Amino acid sequence: MAVIRRKVASAAGIAVAATLLFTGCAAGTGTDGSDCAEVTEITWLGTIKVEIQDQFKAAIEEYNATNADCVAVEILESPQDVPFLQTVTPLYEAGKAPTIMTALQEIPDMAPRVLDWSGQPLAELAAPGTLDVATIDGKVAGIPITAEAFGLLYNKAVLDAAGVDVASITTRSELADAFGAISETGVSPIHFSGLWWSLGAHFTNVYHANAAEDIEGRLAILDELKAGEKDLLSDPVFENWLDTFDLLKANTIDTASIADTDYDLGVENLAVGDAGMWFMGNWAEPNLLTATPDGEFGVMPVPISDEAGTYGNDSISVGVPFYAMIDAEQASAEQQEAAIAVLTWFITTPEGQAYWSGPVEDGGMNFIPVYDGFTVSPTTFMASEIADYIAAGKTLQWVNSAYPAGLQEAYGAAAQKYYDGVSDRATFAAELEAAWAE
Amino acid sequence: MRTRRQEIQRFAVFALLPLSIFILVLVVPFGRGVYFTFTDWNGFDITKFVGFDNYIAAFQNDDFWQSMGLTLAYVAASLVLVNVVGFVLALLVTMPLRGVNGLRTAFFLPNLIGGVILGLIWQFLFGQAFPVLAEATGIPVFEENWLLDTTTAFWAMVIVTVWQMSGYMMIIYITALMSIEQEALEASLIDGTNAVQRLFLIKMPLMAQAFTISLFLTMRNAFMAYDLNLSLTGGNPYGTTELISLQVFREAFSFGNFASGQTQAVLMFVVIAIAALAQVAISKRYEVQR
Repeated sequence: MAVIRRKVASAAGIAVAATLLFTGCAAGTGTDGSDCAEVTEITWLGTIKVEIQDQFKAAIEEYNATNADCVAVEILESPQDVPFLQTVTPLYEAGKAPTIMTALQEIPDMAPRVLDWSGQPLAELAAPGTLDVATIDGKVAGIPITAEAFGLLYNKAVLDAAGVDVASITTRSELADAFGAISETGVSPIHFSGLWWSLGAHFTNVYHANAAEDIEGRLAILDELKAGEKDLLSDPVFENWLDTFDLLKANTIDTASIADTDYDLGVENLAVGDAGMWFMGNWAEPNLLTATPDGEFGVMPVPISDEAGTYGNDSISVGVPFYAMIDAEQASAEQQEAAIAVLTWFITTPEGQAYWSGPVEDGGMNFIPVYDGFTVSPTTFMASEIADYIAAGKTLQWVNSAYPAGLQEAYGAAAQKYYDGVSDRATFAAELEAAWAE
Repeated sequence: MRTRRQEIQRFAVFALLPLSIFILVLVVPFGRGVYFTFTDWNGFDITKFVGFDNYIAAFQNDDFWQSMGLTLAYVAASLVLVNVVGFVLALLVTMPLRGVNGLRTAFFLPNLIGGVILGLIWQFLFGQAFPVLAEATGIPVFEENWLLDTTTAFWAMVIVTVWQMSGYMMIIYITALMSIEQEALEASLIDGTNAVQRLFLIKMPLMAQAFTISLFLTMRNAFMAYDLNLSLTGGNPYGTTELISLQVFREAFSFGNFASGQTQAVLMFVVIAIAALAQVAISKRYEVQR
């Protein structure tokens, strides 16, 4: 009994302390020294990305502490491998919808429930084209968080040693030659990971993004697939893509097997220079630089055509990995305003921008800015390369943003089979087509 | 004679609370779940009734049937193996040997490890320990990571299930073996039976109830297996080892098809209910009245 009572007492103590702490927060003074008469409490679901969660938490903590907008943000943590809809549907059901959410493929599911950003200052600041994916039936459901790019990441030291200049690789054959040159130096040309999401979302995008020169054409192919009318094998771009798939497979470190699904192994191989390249995206750059702090890691296109100058051969896939949405169903008008205020702080103020786009080692989240008026920009090698690609307009669409929920899993399963040598080209194509039937 | 009033009072005291909890946490959600299957529920709200469309879609969904088939195979394999192993273990540890108590504990222990942890342990064994074992022994079975091939990944799940569940069934069988009347065994000894005859003709019929319970528990657990499936194979390779629970979960939460996921869950319930009722009805026939 005594034990139980002590536990109750200490629990009560903690509760009291927590209340004190909370009211202490709420009654804090603003930067201008004035007290907040009323603090608007809002919630933010998740930490955008697990890689930068500490920086994100620190940023929110500072925002809450300064209390400039009289807004208190509470982070609702959610495990990273749990589907977004699993987290969000019970919260809505319980009447505790998060005020701010970040997602990509679930935007169409969320669109009827979230704030329309049309005409909002932040939406006006967003880079041209970045709102397209988040615009559902004329409603701007989300605003971009950052841009990410994927392609062939390379270790500059390895390529320099092999005498390979990435700028000179403009066709698939030249890529094969480069692989040969890297091999001769005793290093594996590439690590081509068998991760389902890398194959299913990113590598399949290389086909879809190259498939047509304009967005209408690319979306038309998705529609044809959905209607079951597309014959992939008769598409020369698809054939080029498969040839590239084979090329990467044939040159990967060890052998291509679905045992090779360890992200960290890819980081290690490229970082220490056991492999010259890695099909991945710039989110790996902090990992690579942690492993080899003085290394230089860049990103180059995946040239799938053998004719230089073909659309897409010189471009990397750039897109917005997450959009910020604000609940408009359960959040009050004040809470919606408060949510906009938080995002505005991140995107337009010097302190916010330092957190948003500052270097990871300085506590920033290293996001590539996709808004006008950013004074802070990432300084790393890969990030500046990506900025150059964006400036030169050499970017491919993330068609995978337009994949319906669940498609990338089905694509990933089919691609893993092909990668593993379990299916041939015809089966692979048939399985990609069948993935749309569900 | 008790009055009606007393009856109501007694009911209120003993049954009202459990009954209302049962209704609140089981009947109501279940009814609501069935209701959702006739709508276009998208996880948030319902705009219209769609009749049997979801059921028709489920019947036409290849993935659903593939998972259902795999689940039935998994249920069959684990039903047989868990009970055979559990029963044999029970026979072993009821023999008058040294250290049987220690053995009982050891066999039961895996049951105390949660499914997710169990999955991670075996993932390590299949992925990291097997290759080392293969190098040391040269036995080819250990060379491949079992989790990377559809067939072996399936058997990997069965093996882990047997490892986890058979100790629990063993306890039930031990209790049953111990409760067999000594008179019956002594009488059969006098009649000149051998050990095999005693096992099949005396012991097993007299403990038929234990089989009913164990078979039911094994079957139910196998049909509903989720955590082990998720943590051991995650449905891989290429999504070919998704048992029905995982399939239902992915349909709803990953694909965002809440109504059709819910429909598949209801169908899963129907299949399990039929299988369980049939199994209990059949097993009951073998039970002996004492």
